[in-house]
Amino acid sequence: MLLTPYRVLDLTDQRGMLAGQILADLGADVICVEPPDGSSARSVGPFAGDNPSPDRSLYWWAYARNKRGITCNLDHSDGQALVRQLAATADFVLESDTPGVMNARGLGYADLSAQHEDLIYTSISAFGQTGPKASYEATDLILMAAGGPLILAGGAGQAPVRVSVPQAWFHASGEAASAAMIALYARRSIGRGQHVDISAQQSVAAASMSANLAASIGAAETARVAGGMAVGPFTGKLIWEAADGYISLTFLFGSGIGPFSRRLFEWMYDEGECTQEDRDLDWIGLGAEFISGQRPLSEWDRLLSVVGDFIIKRSRGELFREAQARSLLIVPVTTVDEVADSEQFKARNFWREHEMPAWPEPVRFPGPFVQLSANQLEYRRRAPDLGEHNAEVYAELGLDAADLAQLQERGVI
Amino acid sequence: MTASDAAALPSAPGIPTEGALAGIKVLDLMWVVAGPTATRAMADFGATVIRVESANRIETARGIGPFHDNAQGPDHSGLFGNMNINKLGVSLNLATAEAREVLLDLIAWCDVLAESFSPRAMRAWGMDYESLKALKPDLIMLSTCLFGQEGPLSRVAGFGTMGAAIGGYIALAGNPGEAPIGPYSAYTDYLSPRFALPTILAALDHRDRTGEGLYIDQAQAESSLHFMSAALLDYTINGRVPQLVGNADPDMAPHGCYRAAGDDDWVAIAVRNDADWANLCSAMGRGELTCDDRFADLSARKANEGELNEIVGGWTADHGALELEYMLQAFGVPAHAVSNSGAAAEDPQMRHRGHFVRMEHPVHGGTAFEAAKGQMSETPPSYRSVAPSIGRDNDLVLRDILGYDDERIAQLAIADALT
Repeated sequence: MLLTPYRVLDLTDQRGMLAGQILADLGADVICVEPPDGSSARSVGPFAGDNPSPDRSLYWWAYARNKRGITCNLDHSDGQALVRQLAATADFVLESDTPGVMNARGLGYADLSAQHEDLIYTSISAFGQTGPKASYEATDLILMAAGGPLILAGGAGQAPVRVSVPQAWFHASGEAASAAMIALYARRSIGRGQHVDISAQQSVAAASMSANLAASIGAAETARVAGGMAVGPFTGKLIWEAADGYISLTFLFGSGIGPFSRRLFEWMYDEGECTQEDRDLDWIGLGAEFISGQRPLSEWDRLLSVVGDFIIKRSRGELFREAQARSLLIVPVTTVDEVADSEQFKARNFWREHEMPAWPEPVRFPGPFVQLSANQLEYRRRAPDLGEHNAEVYAELGLDAADLAQLQERGVI
Repeated sequence: MTASDAAALPSAPGIPTEGALAGIKVLDLMWVVAGPTATRAMADFGATVIRVESANRIETARGIGPFHDNAQGPDHSGLFGNMNINKLGVSLNLATAEAREVLLDLIAWCDVLAESFSPRAMRAWGMDYESLKALKPDLIMLSTCLFGQEGPLSRVAGFGTMGAAIGGYIALAGNPGEAPIGPYSAYTDYLSPRFALPTILAALDHRDRTGEGLYIDQAQAESSLHFMSAALLDYTINGRVPQLVGNADPDMAPHGCYRAAGDDDWVAIAVRNDADWANLCSAMGRGELTCDDRFADLSARKANEGELNEIVGGWTADHGALELEYMLQAFGVPAHAVSNSGAAAEDPQMRHRGHFVRMEHPVHGGTAFEAAKGQMSETPPSYRSVAPSIGRDNDLVLRDILGYDDERIAQLAIADALT
C-alpha cells in the first residue's frame, strides 16, 4: 500500500481521529494510544444497540479502523517514557489535546524531536496552539460559528443552523492529514521533520466557500437563503419541493450552468409546461441581460416559479431518471437511509464489512475514499479493542508479558 | 500578518524554487472548488501548478461571489481568486486538435495530472489513464467527480451542491417540520479535497520510492460519506434516520444560536454538562436556575428545552454577540459569536493566525485570500501571485516551460487554440 513504510503514533481523541484514519487507510502502520480506561472517543455516541458501552461506540468503530490499539497513561511518568520510546520509532505523531497539555507531559514537539529530528509532529486544536483564543472552550457548534460557515446556513432572519452530525473536527483532521503528508514530502529535501499546527477554526472556514472574504474585498455580506444561495443580485434556488419530497436542482444561467437550464426548459417545453420564448432564452448570456437592465429582475422570479410549478408535480424518481436521460442538474435530497441503500454505492462495491466483537452481525462501513489503479485502500483491521495490541507493540520495546503485567498493575498501561 | 494591517504582498507569477513541494509539477484541469482546493494547497507549498482554462467556457467559479466591490466580471470573483492563487494560468481551447497537442505536452511535463471533467470527457480525447500511462508510465492522475468513473450514476454531471444533496448532507440541516436547508452551498466540495490531497501526496512519495505511477478515481460523494460514518452506522445497526432538529444536540442543552443585540447578530452557546450550566446561570445572573428542577440535569434540560431556549435567548438579546462570547468564555462556557466575513476579518485569533492575506492585484489594486490551513514550522507556505486572468501566463508556460518558439505559438493562435 502507498504508505506501508511509515508509522504513525496516533495520540488523538475524537477531535483528531480522522487524520490517522486517512493515513491508515492509505497503508500507514497507525498505532493509536488510549488511556488505560479507554479513549474519550469511546463515550461518543451513537452506540450499537443504543447501549453506551465503550466497546459499542459507533464513532470509535468508524474512526479507529486500520489502526492498532494500545493503552498508555500519558499522565504517568513511566507512560510518558513509553510514548517517547514509541515516538522514536514513528515517522508521524498526531495529537489533539488542549494546547499546552502535551508540553506539560514532556511529550510536546520539542521533547519528542530532540532525539528524533525526522519526526513529523501534527497538533490539532480548536483555535491553534497559540493566540488570544487558544484556550477557548469549544465544541462543534462553537467552531462552525467561529470559522464562518454557520452564519451562511439557514433562513433569512432566522437562526443559523448547523449540520446535525458534528463536522468541525473532521475538517481539522482532514487538513492535518494533508499537512502531515506535505511535511513528509518536505522531509526529503530539508532532511528533517517539523511541527504542524492545525486550527479547527481555520479549517472549517473552507466550508464558507470564500464568502468569508466578502468584507476583505469590499463585497457585501452573503445573505442567508434557506435552500439556496445568493448569486450577486440573484437568488439561486437549490432545493425544490417535488411531489414526494425534495430535490436539488441547480438552476442558473451562464456558460457553466446555462446549457443545463436550456435542456431543462427543453423538457418542460416537450411537456407543454413552458413557452417557446422561455425555452429559447439566451441561457448563457441571460445574467448580463439582467445586470444591464435589458431584462427586469422580476423575470428571474417568474422563471423560478415556472420551474417550481413543473417540479412539484413530479416525483423525485421521475425527475432523477429524466435528469440522467437529458443531462440535467437534478438529484434527490437524499436521507441517510437512502444513502446507505443507494444502488450507486452498491454497484461500485463501495461498502466494506467488519466483524465487531461486541456485535452479532457483520457491520457495514463506508468504503475506500478513493479507488486506485494499484495499491488499493484495504480495510485490513477493524477498530481495536482496548489494549488489543499491547503485547505485540510493546514487545518491540523489549517488554515481555511479565513487564506488561507489572505496568498494568501500576496503572501505566 | 493580517489582512487589515499588513502591506499587500506583490504579485509576481513565476516558477517557485522553494517550499515543501518545490519541483513538483501539477497540471490542473479542474474547476470550481473541490479540485482547485487541493491543487492550491500544493501551489502554496511550492509546487508549480498550471491551471488550464478557456475563455470559450468561462469557469463557473468566476461567476460566483463574493465579488470585489460587488462588481461582476471574470476577474472579480473572490472565490476564484481564493481557489487559484499561486497558480499559473494558460488558456487552451480544447475543442481544437492543436490545443489538445499542447495538453499532451503539458501532460508529458507534469508529475500530477488532476482533472474534474465528467467521466466521458477525457476518454473522448483519448486521454484516459490507460492511454496516458502508455506515454508516461509514472504519471499520477487524479480524476475527481461526483460519482466516480464507473457505476450507474457515473454519467450524472454534478456540482458540489448536488453532492451535498445526494450525499445526505442537505437532509442533515434544517428546522423541525420545515423543508431541509442544508449546509452552505457545495458542501461536498469542501470535504473531498481532504481525501484527494493526502492521496496525491502519498502517490508522489510512492512514485519516488518505486518509480510507479497511479490512477486515483475519486467519487466525491463517496469520500464525503466519511464525515458521517457514525450516522450511517446508526442507521444500518440501529435503524435510526437523522431528523431535522435545528441546532439541538442529544448530549448538550442549551445548545444553539441565540439572537444577540444587532441586526443579524447571533451567539452560539453549547452547554456540555451541569458545570457549564451552572456557569451559564452565573453569567446570566440567574443563579436560582441551578436549583430549578426543570433544568436540573441534561435529561430535564432536554425535556424543557423550549423554555430553556427562551430564557437564554431572552438574556442574549440584550447583549452584543462579542460581549456574550467574551463573558461566557470567561465563565468557562463554550460560546462564540457567529462570525460573518466582517467579524472574521477582525477576529483576534484569525488575525493571530494570519488567516486573511492581502496581495496587490492588477485589476483591483489589492485583493485578499485565505492563508494555507496548516502552519508548518520549517516549510511555511509562500504567496507569490494572485489567481490568473484567463491566459495570463501563456507566454511563460508555452515559451519557458514547453520551449515553444514564436512560430509554434503563432500557429497555435491562428488555429484558435489559445482562447
